[in-house]
Amino acid sequence: MAERLVGADIAPPDLHAKITGRARYAEDFRAPGMVFAKLLLSPMPHARVRRVDASRALAMEGVIDILRADEVPSRDGPREACLTDTPRYEGEPILAVAAVDEETAAAAIEAIEIDFEPLPFVIDPLESLRPGGPNAYVDGNQFSGQDGWSDFKWTNTDFAKVDAGEMPDPSCPVEWTKGDPESAFAESALVLEETIVHQSLTHHPMEPRSNMAYWEGETLHAFVSTQSSQQTKFALAGALQIDPENINLVSEYCGGGFGSKIAGTTVMQIPALFSRKINRPVMLRITRYEENYVGRARPGFQTWLKMGFLQDGKCNAIDLIIVQESGPYGAGDFNTAGMIADLTYTPQNMRFRGVSMYTNTPPKAAQRGPGGAQIISMMEPILEKAGRELGVDRFEIHRMNAPRGDVQFGPRNATLTSVHAVEALDQGREMFDWDAKLAISGKRNGSKVTGVGIGLSPYTAGSRGRDGMMIIRPDGKLYVHQGIGNLGTHSIADTARPAAELLGYNWKDVEIVWGNSARAYPRSTVQAGSQTTTAHTRANHAAATDALRKIREVAAAALGGSASSYSVDSGRVSGPGGTMTLGRIAERAIAMGGEYSGEVLPDDVHAQTVPAAQILAGEGLMGIARDNYGGEGNIYSWVAGFAMVELDEETGMVELKEYVGVTDCGTVIHPRSLGAQVFGGSIQGMGMAMTQRWVFDPQWGVPFANRFYTARPPGFLDIPADLKWGAVGIPDPQDPVGAKGIGEPPVGAGAAALTSAIADAMGGRCVCRTPLTPDVLLAEIEGRPMYGRLEQHVG
Amino acid sequence: MAKIRDMIPAFELFQPTTVGDALELLDEHRGQAWVLAGGLDSFDWFKDRVKRPSAVVDLGGISELTGIRDVEDGIEIGAMTSLTEIERDERVRSGFSVLADAARHVATPQIRNQGTLGGNVSQDTRCWYYRSGWPCYRAGGNTCYAAAPQAMNREHCIMGRSRCVAVNPSDTAPALIAVDAKMVVESNGGSTVHDAEDFFIGPAIDITRMTVMKSQDLLTRIHIPARWADADFYYEKIRDRGSWDFQLVSVAAAFRKSEGKIEEARISVNGVAPFPVRLDAVERLVQGTSGDESTASAAGELAIQGARPLRHNDYKVAMMRNLVRRAVRSVS
Amino acid sequence: MDQAESVSVLEKKYSRRTFIKGVIATGATASSAGYLFRGSPLLGAATYQTATERLITLNVNGQERRVDVLPHETLAMTLRYKLGLTGTKLGCDRAECGACTVLIDGVSQYGCSMLTHQVRGRSVATIEGLEDADTGELSVVQKAVMEEGGFQCAFCAPGFIMAMTEMIEVNPNPTREEARLALSGNLCRCADYDKILTCAMRAAELARSV
Repeated sequence: MAERLVGADIAPPDLHAKITGRARYAEDFRAPGMVFAKLLLSPMPHARVRRVDASRALAMEGVIDILRADEVPSRDGPREACLTDTPRYEGEPILAVAAVDEETAAAAIEAIEIDFEPLPFVIDPLESLRPGGPNAYVDGNQFSGQDGWSDFKWTNTDFAKVDAGEMPDPSCPVEWTKGDPESAFAESALVLEETIVHQSLTHHPMEPRSNMAYWEGETLHAFVSTQSSQQTKFALAGALQIDPENINLVSEYCGGGFGSKIAGTTVMQIPALFSRKINRPVMLRITRYEENYVGRARPGFQTWLKMGFLQDGKCNAIDLIIVQESGPYGAGDFNTAGMIADLTYTPQNMRFRGVSMYTNTPPKAAQRGPGGAQIISMMEPILEKAGRELGVDRFEIHRMNAPRGDVQFGPRNATLTSVHAVEALDQGREMFDWDAKLAISGKRNGSKVTGVGIGLSPYTAGSRGRDGMMIIRPDGKLYVHQGIGNLGTHSIADTARPAAELLGYNWKDVEIVWGNSARAYPRSTVQAGSQTTTAHTRANHAAATDALRKIREVAAAALGGSASSYSVDSGRVSGPGGTMTLGRIAERAIAMGGEYSGEVLPDDVHAQTVPAAQILAGEGLMGIARDNYGGEGNIYSWVAGFAMVELDEETGMVELKEYVGVTDCGTVIHPRSLGAQVFGGSIQGMGMAMTQRWVFDPQWGVPFANRFYTARPPGFLDIPADLKWGAVGIPDPQDPVGAKGIGEPPVGAGAAALTSAIADAMGGRCVCRTPLTPDVLLAEIEGRPMYGRLEQHVG
Repeated sequence: MAKIRDMIPAFELFQPTTVGDALELLDEHRGQAWVLAGGLDSFDWFKDRVKRPSAVVDLGGISELTGIRDVEDGIEIGAMTSLTEIERDERVRSGFSVLADAARHVATPQIRNQGTLGGNVSQDTRCWYYRSGWPCYRAGGNTCYAAAPQAMNREHCIMGRSRCVAVNPSDTAPALIAVDAKMVVESNGGSTVHDAEDFFIGPAIDITRMTVMKSQDLLTRIHIPARWADADFYYEKIRDRGSWDFQLVSVAAAFRKSEGKIEEARISVNGVAPFPVRLDAVERLVQGTSGDESTASAAGELAIQGARPLRHNDYKVAMMRNLVRRAVRSVS
Repeated sequence: MDQAESVSVLEKKYSRRTFIKGVIATGATASSAGYLFRGSPLLGAATYQTATERLITLNVNGQERRVDVLPHETLAMTLRYKLGLTGTKLGCDRAECGACTVLIDGVSQYGCSMLTHQVRGRSVATIEGLEDADTGELSVVQKAVMEEGGFQCAFCAPGFIMAMTEMIEVNPNPTREEARLALSGNLCRCADYDKILTCAMRAAELARSV
């Protein structure tokens, strides 16, 4: 019997390369004659370039050329170009210079004379909403493709309330209501109203978005840092307006993205365009400082929340307003946040209003659990506060409000494929020993107070797949061609395992093919939003099912009997007519041709898959299929996080003592990897809630905390030495494998468990902002809060 | 001139092997030479292209500057001794644990392996306006960006300001003040010994420097007198992250006790002023007490007298008060 | 130049020029031949009257490597761009993340924040030197990581593995708490800390059983 692949731990196939220094990330590639580009960044948050004099730079020994904004693709409206003469944030790339070495390129940047006309800017979105307030763009602060720019403001009446610390009643571009919130609030036994600020923070993956490119004739060789492979090739082709088949995209490894490199990066266009201009390979090494600007950030929220509860603790109404700080190019987090609030607390009566405001801050993008992580970290402590005030056990209030299988949420009553949030909570309660922990909540040891809290966090965790493609070659091995990316989640291997298991393969006989588009990728999902585990596992499963049918038919043709009477195991196919190795089957498939060897493809595969399949056609038995499994409803995973902290009331320091994260993410394909995702996501959430920050000087409109030591992502000493995780493990019924994704939901769980536990240690007082750094907490303890309730970009 | 924050601009590198050669070099390149100890502060400045010396004098090859020695009156630590060595040295750990503790709280293991005691006490401030190359008072300009009404200054000072509101970032500085260390500074003209508390200077004395040292001076040795050996020590550093972080506020204290009473105390706080502050008045207040709760409270209140927080650092007043209180309380 | 011109042609055309330019830029030390092998190769052996030699010998992973190094060049840059040892990563280039951690005479340091000229005469160990040069056998730390499936994106891995390599020498029998302190100079943005710690503990265990 072949080994079980689903549910077993493996060393990922690329691990050896990663730990010997052989793994090549984008900046590790070299090309003969390679030159180095450096960027000139905007020194102001909003400006127009008046004059550039590069003559001194271009005359320098070793300087090759300059690339300007008018040489790169750009579009009107709030859309990003890789270089611009109208920078909309401090740090936006204006131009690039190439030289024979980095030192010369840097000196050349300094030798450029450049004049800017400063323009009005806005850092805090509320300022742009104020009547007469500044806008991030000269032409307005809202944009639609149809109507262009407009100037959207709240009224003086709205701001009278805002300034009085009350919830305003503004109009917003996004607004939906379900049920009858007004009547529901009237029936509530308890109504809590809070003003909450969630910070904006940078992604800061370990690998900055460096990249290199060169051309060979019409072919672009691009070495990029990206979360997704197949889709990045098409994104780059679209941006450069060239035929995708003329791009050889190399992305063997990606040093983290967390949403900031979904289909590559904007700056990946620069070496491609520059090398075309100067006919040489161009390396663009992005520094950490530059990454801080061009590397994307999670949008911040300024939020008014009203939550109503019945006597038993059931949330019966929510009124939520979110003002989102969206940077110059927009983001969608706030919409998701509204959906997730409805899903997590099932109020039946809800009004959501939201507005995305352009600001002159570095660009925003999805950051692991976009929208969900923010809203959960903000709302969970409020839910627990309701429990406290109503005398309902805090665990129970999470449990009773969590959705069951029949949940319908959001303005269009969306449904789920499966939900086991309650089971995750129950399992977490046991693993964390909630009841015993509750007994020590509030206990003092000198100046230290213990607090415990829970964060329940959902997020979308899958979509239907695109195409799967694999080939069994005459060597008998299964080659799974993966168009998804390799950003460290191990999904590059794990999405192939159910497929390999279906084909009776032992793992040593499975080769994962990835990293270079010349190696042929089928149309694949983007590697983002926790979609991959679901979507690409399904696509591969479909392709394996196709391969299995073909193996049986080839075997029956060769050995006799009916195809259905043949079965596969450990590299052989056996049935009434005897047994054959899959290597022999591959040879026969090549001889038979047609669909067996991939010469004829299924009608329904995506157009982008066809040229890739043609590369492999005739080389073995091809399994290729579109994911036609279908399904109804949204795929969501859950993590229930439980945290115990100790707050030092004399210093404001919080020490995280224990953490347990339990997930409902369907079938567990790779336990060890799953645990790493639960912990990694949770810790990122803890960093978001507690250590990490971004700070802007409002007078100058520029960010500080733009290095690791000032941005403070959590390090080894900011988390306990022991963490625990668990999984409910109930397969999703709508999925052939039953697996759901896991990347996103732990972020909100880690953050919210912490914000809830800190509120508990503060005696139930919610400090409604992130990050909860020692200064913020100590100031609260002292009764001298330092920041305005709506102040953004501080900390 | 456009700005870029990458790649060290060229300089001439000198790697002397004796203190005499180093001093001669500094003299020769007066004002132009940069002294490189562990380099962890220096390389930041160089890579940001904000400080651009034409000559760099690397002290790494001068063996007489490293090591911890017993001397007649206490111990002597070469300025180029690594923080790791100080953290692990048995004499320091047993006799002057406050210094070992302070060294252990510096940044990360790699930085302690490379960073030196001399470099740690000589490092420049971490004010992010100044370090970003803004033309502030300290950089020779005529304003302080960090003290502007809307400025972001949670990590800046609450006392001792004079135009500049930056703080001294050194973890070991308050510990050296607590043990009454003597800093031996040499130049081509001879050597001078400074009490640790006088070694660090504020902007009122010279806004461009953090210590008494001028460009041709070299800190060669730190002498720790035996007088405070085996005292009751207290060290605590509050920081946002558990590693690679400067203090928000830190306290180092030494207490000599007799029959349960504090005979003498030395208490220093860093992170609250442009220089590590020695709390003489608090030291006098606690003398003769047992460090009981009411003395500790009074000590805390006395410590913050005259504190003037900026817009975003009011919390430091409470943090300083509480740390001083804790230090005194530790005695009982 | 025609776009069709191949990369190998580019190499012939430009690599020579780059090299010449580099030497010219040395100014006073361009005539470095006269200074070569003067005095002992140990750190600081050059007397201060002469600026640093450019062409130096480095001991990297047990091999003597001759390399042309600018006075202000960092070790990480020399390793990555001159010696082809790209396993040492630049995560921040400011001594803050640990991705560039190398061992200098067995002691972990940040390769981005030291001058290459400061390690003349000392032994430099990088991730590429951990395997047995003859057999390809992995070091105990690497074996432990393979067993425990450590790291996610692994951009931090080379630095962590070097720090672990030092740790098992300094403290062969660490507690989890001690191991986490020893590794606290390295950042992992995937926050795979728990698994990395398990790898470190396993590495120490393997080292003890050797």
